[in-house]
Amino acid sequence: MALGTVTRRLGNKLFPVLSPTTRLLHSHATSFGYKRVNEEEKARMVGDVFTSVASNYDSMNDLMSVGLHRLWKDRLVSKLNPFLGMKHLDVAGGTGDVAFRILENIHRIKVRGVEGAFKETLEAETRIYVCDINPNMLNVGKQRASEKGFGEDGSLVWAEGNAESLSFENDSMDGYTIAFGIRNVTHIEKVLSEAYRVLKPGGRFLCLELSHVGIPIFKDLYDYYSFSVIPYMGELVAGDRKSYQYLVESIRRFPTQEKFASMIVDAGFQKVEFENLVGGVVAIHSGLKI
Amino acid sequence: MYRTAAKRLFRCATYYHGSNAAVRFPPPLHMLVPSSRFSTSENQPPADRHSTIETPNLSSSSSSSSSTNEDAGPKYEDQLALVLQASLRHVEKETNEQNAKKKKMPLPHGGPRRWVNKATLASSPTVALLTRGWSEFALIAGARDVGLSPSIIGSFSRKEAALVEYFMDDCLQRLVDKVDSDESLKNLTPSECITKLIRFRLEMQAPYISTWPEALGIQAQPVNVSTSFKQRALLVDEMSHAAGDSASDIDWYAKRTILGGIYSTTEIYMLTDKSPGTVFGRSSRCRAGRSCWESFPEMSRGGKKDMPFGRLRSLTAVAPNSIQFYFYE
Repeated sequence: MALGTVTRRLGNKLFPVLSPTTRLLHSHATSFGYKRVNEEEKARMVGDVFTSVASNYDSMNDLMSVGLHRLWKDRLVSKLNPFLGMKHLDVAGGTGDVAFRILENIHRIKVRGVEGAFKETLEAETRIYVCDINPNMLNVGKQRASEKGFGEDGSLVWAEGNAESLSFENDSMDGYTIAFGIRNVTHIEKVLSEAYRVLKPGGRFLCLELSHVGIPIFKDLYDYYSFSVIPYMGELVAGDRKSYQYLVESIRRFPTQEKFASMIVDAGFQKVEFENLVGGVVAIHSGLKI
Repeated sequence: MYRTAAKRLFRCATYYHGSNAAVRFPPPLHMLVPSSRFSTSENQPPADRHSTIETPNLSSSSSSSSSTNEDAGPKYEDQLALVLQASLRHVEKETNEQNAKKKKMPLPHGGPRRWVNKATLASSPTVALLTRGWSEFALIAGARDVGLSPSIIGSFSRKEAALVEYFMDDCLQRLVDKVDSDESLKNLTPSECITKLIRFRLEMQAPYISTWPEALGIQAQPVNVSTSFKQRALLVDEMSHAAGDSASDIDWYAKRTILGGIYSTTEIYMLTDKSPGTVFGRSSRCRAGRSCWESFPEMSRGGKKDMPFGRLRSLTAVAPNSIQFYFYE
């Protein structure tokens, strides 16, 4: 408690000196939706949110996005362009949506150009790591995987871990995705630098996240939908209004597409691009590590 | 498209060096490094709603900044170009393997020059071999050769097309280098120069000849056709300019269109030519090319002077005849 007070006082003294970027990152680290919280508490509070929503997570996603989240994830995986033998890390992918899609995509690839024995070696090398800080979300994912029959050959690995300090080696991953997860982390820049660390040269970073809408009338409709309809749906279906209130507030507090892209550039990535889907409701940011 | 900015800017200098040079194509805009940090990439279709953020090291558009860029480490454009270069070697290897396999297989039709029935060709086992050369597998193998993760392929917007376009750009650059370095071209008549340049250019495709139909198919896809058309237009412009063409009115368009037709038909003929000793038998084409190019000014002036489109009419009469000559010889 005392430590929290000290850091806050220091933070106030340092405030005028901080650059706009650092101020923004600082404000993300201490924001829980529209509330101000300590950095140390944010991770715990986000953890509580996901523990309570884990069991209804997928059905609520379907309801809130009217099924569109499936298309968004399909688009993310097609941008990734998976190949046989790839080592991929999906962070904050607890319930496994993106990982399952990547595995399906790889199985569908026709390996005309690859000889028989070599093909089997590559198949054995394919590994999709699903990392999540919340064990409840991972359990839901493992259950879904066994129901669908994924990962029985050992190509799917479930790992509990923090996106800000991954337990994977340097230069070990061909791809890194984070879908609807980066909004919830305490320190975005740490997550980006960890992503840069674990990727191989030539590896791609892809981030799918709810983002800012710029189109005038559509923006107002979207705001109305976000602040009035979604928390009400959360209360009705999942019995948890507060979690879904946090969800819509955290979307607004997240940096804009351009701002986030510049943060990705600062982490060391090249060829940073973003693609808006549904007018900016969702954005896919991509970067290349060379 | 994947050459370095410095090389591009050097080419721009050669384009604009001579003020009395004939009208040339200006360098495509998307090749110039944008000066602002955040920019929309100009060659992306508008429906994609893409934005590209340039890294700080590339924020200067001048080539003199290349010395500071070297400190920052390898640039993604250079690495992508290396990947494409390595992938081309795999395509060549694939083509040689296909040639070796094809020699053991019977031909689906009777002779090399007869028109092939489409149904016969579709059922032929050789068709199955024609779809593996210019593909993602070559790109993945190329990336592995360069030491990069094959994930980098995902950053190409049109994968196989990127490979074909890189090859076309590379061939154009080699043609330009030949034109700049070969002094003997200046002593030839225009039609001899054209013939020599077309031959030189088509011989670059010789190592890939059995997979070239696949490359042509990729270039003909609607999403790729605008870029491939632009590349061919640049190629034809280069050859016309090397031959000393100084036209500036409708002749400029007509000559290039006809030259494009000659080049394309020769290229297509090359795909099925089985003449011994050479990669493609060009003796008849060369003669026809020469006669067409030389008689062009007389034919174009044949139109009535009092009619505004007299010359255009005579030109349009020439073009189909020259192309028809090649197809139905």
